[in-house]
Amino acid sequence: MNERQKHIRNFSIIAHIDHGKSTLADRILEYSNAVSKREMEEQILDNMDLEKERGITIKARAVRINYTHKDGEEYVLNLIDTPGHVDFNYEVSRSLNACEGALLVVDSTQGIEAQTLANAYLAVDCDLEIVPVINKIDLPSADVERVRKEIEDVIGIVAEGCPAVSAKVGLNIDTVLDAIIENVPAPKGDENAPLKCLIFDSHYNAYLGVVVYVRVMDGTLRAGDKIKMMSTGATYDVVEVGYLNALGLEKGEVLKAGEVGYITASIKTVSETKVGDTVTHAENGANEPLAGFKEALPMVFSGIYPADGARYNDLRDALEKLKLNDAALSFEAETSIALGFGFRCGFLGLLHMEIMQERLEREFNLDLITTAPSVIYKILKTNGETVYIDNPSNYPPTDTIAKAYEPTVRANIITPTEFVGGIMDLCQDRRGIFKDMKYLDATRVELHYILPLNEIVYDFFDALKSRSRGYASLDYEFADYEESSLVKLDFLLNGEVVDALTFIVHSEKAYARARKIAEKLKDNISRQLFEIPIQAAIGSKIIARETVRALRKDVLAKCYGGDITRKKKLLEKQKEGKKKMRRLGSVEVTPEAFMAVLKLDDSEK
Amino acid sequence: MKNLGLYIHIPFCVKKCNYCDFYSLGCVANGGIERYTDALCKHLKKEGELYKDREVDTVFLGGGTPSILSVELIKNVFSAINEGFRLTPSCEISLEANPGTVTEEKAKAYKQIGINRVSIGLQSVNDRELNVLGRIHTLDGFEESYRILREAGIENINIDIMYALPDQKTDDFIKTLDTVADFEPEHISAYCLKIEENTNFYKIRDTLILPDEEEQYKMYEALCNKLAAKGYEQYEISNFAKKGGRCVHNLKYWTSQDYLGFGPSAHSCIDGVRYSYSESIDEYVNAICEGNNPVKLHETEYELTEEEKMDEYVMLRLRLSDGVSPEEFENRFGVRFEKRYKKLNMYEKSGHVVKKHGNFAFTPKGFFVSNYILSDILESI
Repeated sequence: MNERQKHIRNFSIIAHIDHGKSTLADRILEYSNAVSKREMEEQILDNMDLEKERGITIKARAVRINYTHKDGEEYVLNLIDTPGHVDFNYEVSRSLNACEGALLVVDSTQGIEAQTLANAYLAVDCDLEIVPVINKIDLPSADVERVRKEIEDVIGIVAEGCPAVSAKVGLNIDTVLDAIIENVPAPKGDENAPLKCLIFDSHYNAYLGVVVYVRVMDGTLRAGDKIKMMSTGATYDVVEVGYLNALGLEKGEVLKAGEVGYITASIKTVSETKVGDTVTHAENGANEPLAGFKEALPMVFSGIYPADGARYNDLRDALEKLKLNDAALSFEAETSIALGFGFRCGFLGLLHMEIMQERLEREFNLDLITTAPSVIYKILKTNGETVYIDNPSNYPPTDTIAKAYEPTVRANIITPTEFVGGIMDLCQDRRGIFKDMKYLDATRVELHYILPLNEIVYDFFDALKSRSRGYASLDYEFADYEESSLVKLDFLLNGEVVDALTFIVHSEKAYARARKIAEKLKDNISRQLFEIPIQAAIGSKIIARETVRALRKDVLAKCYGGDITRKKKLLEKQKEGKKKMRRLGSVEVTPEAFMAVLKLDDSEK
Repeated sequence: MKNLGLYIHIPFCVKKCNYCDFYSLGCVANGGIERYTDALCKHLKKEGELYKDREVDTVFLGGGTPSILSVELIKNVFSAINEGFRLTPSCEISLEANPGTVTEEKAKAYKQIGINRVSIGLQSVNDRELNVLGRIHTLDGFEESYRILREAGIENINIDIMYALPDQKTDDFIKTLDTVADFEPEHISAYCLKIEENTNFYKIRDTLILPDEEEQYKMYEALCNKLAAKGYEQYEISNFAKKGGRCVHNLKYWTSQDYLGFGPSAHSCIDGVRYSYSESIDEYVNAICEGNNPVKLHETEYELTEEEKMDEYVMLRLRLSDGVSPEEFENRFGVRFEKRYKKLNMYEKSGHVVKKHGNFAFTPKGFFVSNYILSDILESI
C-alpha cells in the first residue's frame, strides 16, 4: 500500500428501508463540505423523483468527498450508495465489492430488520469491515443500548462505542466520519499491475454516452487508453476519466488502483456495461476477471399494454429509454387478443416492476394496462423438450407436459413474536416449507421458509404486512426450480377466453382461487344491457361461475323547464367513465381488472 | 312568422318537498312575492320588445307552485304577458298547481285569463307515501282541487305522479296508477324518483329503503302497460297523453324549438343560443329594479359545434316515442343519420330501439336504459 492509498476510504451505507440511509448520506456530504448548504438538495444521492417519494434508492450512485481528519491529514472518502431493496441484491453486492467497509445503519427505534440482516450478510460475504451506526437517537422511543446489544448478538460484530447519531437533526455526524477513517481499511491493489476495474453502476447521458462507474482494483487507467469489457470482449477507446463529486462529474487525468471514478468511451447503451463486469486494457490486460460476475436475470414478468392502442410506439420508445439505464429490464413485443399490442416485460422483482410501471406512466405520460405478474415456469414436455414460460397464456396443454417446475425462493422474515402464528399460517397457506426459526431477542423472531415465487407475487407482501400490523419485514432470494403440480386457469367473459387474465396456479388452490377471482372480476365489469357470465375454467372444465346482471334502469326521467344541462352533464360523466373502460369483445372491464384479480380481500389476509 | 314558447318560473312553495331540488323558496318575507311578480312583469314587458316579430303559441307557468299566487298577482302576470307578447288564438297556456293552494276563486280567474291547461302535482294516492315525500296534501285534498278546476271549466288537466318511492312496492304504484286513470285526466306525467343532491332526501339517503332496479323496472312496465290499456299514449319517456292531449310547450324542449324563460333558474333556447338565469331571486329582482337585464349564464362557454348540435338534437328527439326522423335530421344537418348513428342498429336487434314509420325510437324497455344507450351512440357529448 502506498501513501496515496493510505488516504483513501471506500465505503457504502447499507440499511433496512426507512432506517435513514439517504439522510445520513446527505449529512455526511454536508458536514464534509462536499456540497455547500446552498447546493444541498434534500437527499442528493437519490436524484430520481420517484426515489425521493418512495424513500428508497433505486440505482447506486457514488460521491468523492475530501475530508480533513482531526489528525490533520487529508482523506478522500468515496461513498458508494447502494439500492436498499431485495430486488437489487446483485447490484448491492457489486457496489459492496467496490468498497472496503460499510456503514450499517440501524434505526434505534426499530432495531434490526430483514433487510438489515440481508445487507449485513452481503457485506460479510464481501469481506467488508462493518461499522454499525445507530440512527434516529433524537426520537423519544430510541433505545440505543438495546439496539447495540441486538447488533452484537444477532450479527456478531462489535457495536460497543459505535456512532449513535441523528441524521435528521445532524447530531454526531463527525463521529461517523472518524469511524470511517479509523475502522475502514485503506484500499490495496497494485497500480502497476494489469488493469482491473469493477463496474458497479452506469448511466446513460445524452451527450457523453454511457458513463461507467468503476472501482479500480489494480492498475492505472488514462483517457485515450483502449479498454475491453471482459464478459463480452467488446473494446472501446476511453474518452474521459474522472471523479464523481456530489454535483456531477469532475474530469481528471488518471484513475489508479484503489480509486473510484467514471469512464466515458462513446458507449451507446448500458447493456454493454454490465454491472459486475471487469474492465481491463485491450492489450496487456488482466488474464482473469474479478470474481462474482453474473447477468442480472428477470424473475417477475408482466404484460404491459398502452391503454390507448395508438400509443404502442410511444410505449416502445419509453421502454427503450428506460432500458438505456437499466440493464435488468427486459421486454419483448407480444400480442394479446384482449389487450392488443404490448410488451412482455421482465423485472428483477415486484418492486422493480412497480417502479418501472410508475416511471413509464409518470415520465412518459403513458396510460398503461398491466397484467398480473407471473414467474417463469420450466416445463419438461412429453417429447423431451424443455420450455420456459413467462406468459401464462402460452402454458402448454396438460397432455403435452411431462413435468412442470416452478421457481422457489429462500424467504427470510423478521417479525415481533406475537405475529409468528399468523405469519406461519400465511406461509403454510402459500405452500411454504418451514426451514427454521431463530429468536433475535425476547421480542423478535426470524423465520426461514422456502416459498414458491408465484405465491410471493400473489400479494404476499400485503398479506404479511396486514398480519403483522406492518411490523414484519421480508427478504428473499432465488432458491431453485422445483417440481410442482400446476394448472392453467382461464377466465371466460361472455363465453370468450380473455387471454390477459389467464394465470397459473397450484392445482390444490385452483378452485378456491378461481372462485375468488371470479368474484373480483364481477366488481370490475360494467353492467351492460345483457347478462354477462364470468367463468373460470381448467381446460374445458368450468370450475367457477359468476354473473354480472343486466342493466335494467339508467334513465333521467325528468328533463324539466327546458334545462338540458343536467342531462348533458350526466351523459358526459357516463361517457367519461366509459372511455376508461377496456372493451373485451362485447364486455367492458375497468383497466384495474387485470391487477385487481390479485388483490386479496380481508378474509385471505 | 316564427313561434315562441314562454316559460315563467314561480319560485315559491308552501313548503319544500323532500325530493325537490328545483329552485324554489319554502317561505318568503311579507311582500316578497309581490316584489317578485312586479319585477317579473317588468321583465316580461321589456323582453317582449325584442320579440315583436314572434307569436307566442305556448305559455307555461312552472315552479315552485304557481297556484300559490293570489288572483290579483296572477292577473298582473298575465297582463304583462299580453302586453309584452302577442299570443296566438289557440295558444296553450299551462299552469302548475298543487293541491291545497287551489280555490274556486282562483280556478275561475284561471279560466277567465285564458289558462287552458293545469298540471296538478299529486305524486301518489297513498297518504303515507305523500307524507314521506313531504307533500302538504292528502288524496282528498287532491280530489277537491281536481273537482274545482274541472268545475271552473279547465278541460285539459295533467296529473303528476312519481314511482320508486321509499318502501314502495309495485302493487302500491299500481294502486296510484289505477286511481289516477280513473280521474280521466287528459295527460299523466310519471317520474321515477331520483335522489338529488341538495334535497332533504339526500341528507337521509342512507336510511331510505328504495325499490331495487328490478322492482323499479316492474313499476315502469306496469306504468306503460296500464296507461296504454286506459288509452294513454306514451309520447315521451315520462309523459302519457290521451289523443290530442300532448303538452305542446314541453314538446318544444324536445324538438329544439325556441323558448324564453323568465325568473331565476329559468332556461332559454333562442336562435340557437342557450342560456339561463342564476338561481337567486334577489339577483334577479335587483337587476330588474335597477333597470338592468338579469345576468345570463350561458350553458356553454363556446358556440355549440355542429357535432354537438346534432347530438343534442338526437338526444332530445329520442326522449319522444316518435323518435328521430333520419330524413329530417339529414335536411337539417346535411349528414347521413344512419351512418353517424349506426350503432342504433345494434340496439334495434336487442329490442331497445325500434324503427317505425321510418323513424328511430326507443321501445319502452329502451327508454328505461336510454342514458346507457345515448352515452354509447352520441360521439360528441
